[in-house]
Amino acid sequence: MTAHTSKDFEQELRTLRERLATMGERAARQLALAMRALADKDDDLARDVVKNDAQIDRDENEIDELALQILATRQPVASDLRFITMALKFVVDLERIGDLAGGIAKRALELNRLPSLEPRIDLTKLATLAQKNLQAALDAFVRRDADGATAVITADAEIDKLNASLFAELIAHVATDPATVTRVLPLTSVCRYLERVGDHTKNLAEEVVYMVKATDVRHRPIIPAN
Amino acid sequence: MIQRVRSRLVGLALLVSFVTGIAGADAMRTRALSDVLPVAVAAFAITIGIGWVVVEMLRGALHGMLRSMRDVVRDPSRRIAAEAAPGDELRELAEWINFLAEDADRSHRALARERMLLAAVAEGLTQGVIAVDSEHRIELLNDAARKMLGVTSSPVGELLIDFVRVPELFDLIDSDVAATAEVQLPNTPRALIRTARKWGGDGRVLLLEDVTTVRRLETVRRDFVANVSHELRTPVAVIRANAETLMAGAKDDPVIAGKLIDGLHRNAERLARILADLLDLSRLDAGQYRLELSSVPVRPVIEQSLSAVEPQAAQRNVTVRVDIPTELAVRADPKALDHILVNLIDNGVKYGRPDGNVWVEARATGPGLGDVRIEVRDDGPGIADKHRTRVFERFYRADPSRSREAGGTGLGLSIVKHLVESMGGEVGVEPHLPQGSIFWLRLPRASSIGTPP
Repeated sequence: MTAHTSKDFEQELRTLRERLATMGERAARQLALAMRALADKDDDLARDVVKNDAQIDRDENEIDELALQILATRQPVASDLRFITMALKFVVDLERIGDLAGGIAKRALELNRLPSLEPRIDLTKLATLAQKNLQAALDAFVRRDADGATAVITADAEIDKLNASLFAELIAHVATDPATVTRVLPLTSVCRYLERVGDHTKNLAEEVVYMVKATDVRHRPIIPAN
Repeated sequence: MIQRVRSRLVGLALLVSFVTGIAGADAMRTRALSDVLPVAVAAFAITIGIGWVVVEMLRGALHGMLRSMRDVVRDPSRRIAAEAAPGDELRELAEWINFLAEDADRSHRALARERMLLAAVAEGLTQGVIAVDSEHRIELLNDAARKMLGVTSSPVGELLIDFVRVPELFDLIDSDVAATAEVQLPNTPRALIRTARKWGGDGRVLLLEDVTTVRRLETVRRDFVANVSHELRTPVAVIRANAETLMAGAKDDPVIAGKLIDGLHRNAERLARILADLLDLSRLDAGQYRLELSSVPVRPVIEQSLSAVEPQAAQRNVTVRVDIPTELAVRADPKALDHILVNLIDNGVKYGRPDGNVWVEARATGPGLGDVRIEVRDDGPGIADKHRTRVFERFYRADPSRSREAGGTGLGLSIVKHLVESMGGEVGVEPHLPQGSIFWLRLPRASSIGTPP
């Protein structure tokens, strides 16, 4: 490989990394805005979130194309190849997170038309946890930090636990007052979406571990951190 | 070079010995080869000897020169001394080297100065400046940019993406035309990013501007104009309609006329209230409202304020509970403080829930307990986050229909804020969990009743 093409190749890898990180940021921002639209009962904001999802879909297509083009023209090996196969999976998870944020915004539009549930169910903790974990996964990606990524994988259990307890709380509402069901159902969806965001974040973290350490940590039992 | 001189010297000596040998043989004629050889050898040795000494002298001079040059390269402020360069040629060489060193030294200093100037300008700017090279590595990230982006280190030479992931920032770096984008940055709710220019090939300079306050003020002004016209138009419309109906003949029907006149009166009162409030505000703005600060006991003022809101509280069956230590006093204008408290307690009663509670409490607070915090809490529906930051703006209403119905002018809280701040205090609102709001104000504490601190 001549010096010139090797430099081009490096540049392409850098672009790919940059595109992945900014797409991640876009997805994280969508999630934050969707939660704010829900908390503030802000229809305009919720509609913006639904509309902005198209940009994330575009990101997915463009990054996919870029990764495939690098594969085809450069035939990378070793860590470069690992990085590109990782990128192909990374975009899928990010795109799903974007979709879920859109889903939350749509539920917000439904919920905004209904009176608030009393006493209020606080989703902030779950949402904050999901957002924090997503940011940590993206940080681990740009810093090539396998330990950070492992921490994200462990932290997902907390999200699952919180989701389960919120779900029980919501069901209790319906049990005491069946008329609340129209308000409870969209809220259970939001909880489930957040939990799914957590799952995709965990996938992202596993992909980062694979990229950095070349070990596959998917489908492993989690050893809880003490 | 010395090596070459040495080999030439050997050649020269051979030539000299050969010529000397031939000449000697020729002159003597009778002698045999054995007689010529020593002469040639002697000539060879003498030539080599003299040549050797000359070469070594030159070598020494060049070595000295080289040493001095090395010193100059290491430290451009040094010069080659004249005695280090014997001979005309070497002296001239030394002069040229000194000239080059002088030039390099000047350039170095100019460059360092320029770099210091650039750094001083960049660090002093309130605008953030980001410069990246063609690989998107950071060349410059000034203090303002680091703050806005939440970057704590000084990452020159590192990849920008390792520190910032804002998508629009990278779109702008790659954009071929001058463009702007307004986005949320990690530490700045609203920032304007502008592509400044390309530099050094594909490098880019971006400027960041914090427009949070500007945008907020724009919204406040827009809302104020819209609200003030709306607030004034509503009572005027009622007055005009009622007057027209009366003129059209309703004045002859005593029942209808009574109702219409009542409406006229109520709306005229409302207009007068809004105008009085607006006038108060503009006086406060212009600093014409003179406040007389003295030591004011908190409890009697609050009791006096309570009597003003009692009818309203009775009507909505709201219980107002007061818990204030008797000896507590603040430094304030008594009339202004009364105005503030009536406003806050009245709001609590009006916008809390019917049959609810309002708590009025005061206690010493702050470092060395030099302040007094007065709280008015209710257990009503509370204020949504997005409204909470704006309730102190003129005519801002969290729920327009409800507050107008309750008789508010939409100016009460902005007057409160103005008054508190002109007395050197602070006012704010927090959610009261699980429901309701806490309006609080902090004023400087007066040491004891009757004497200023």
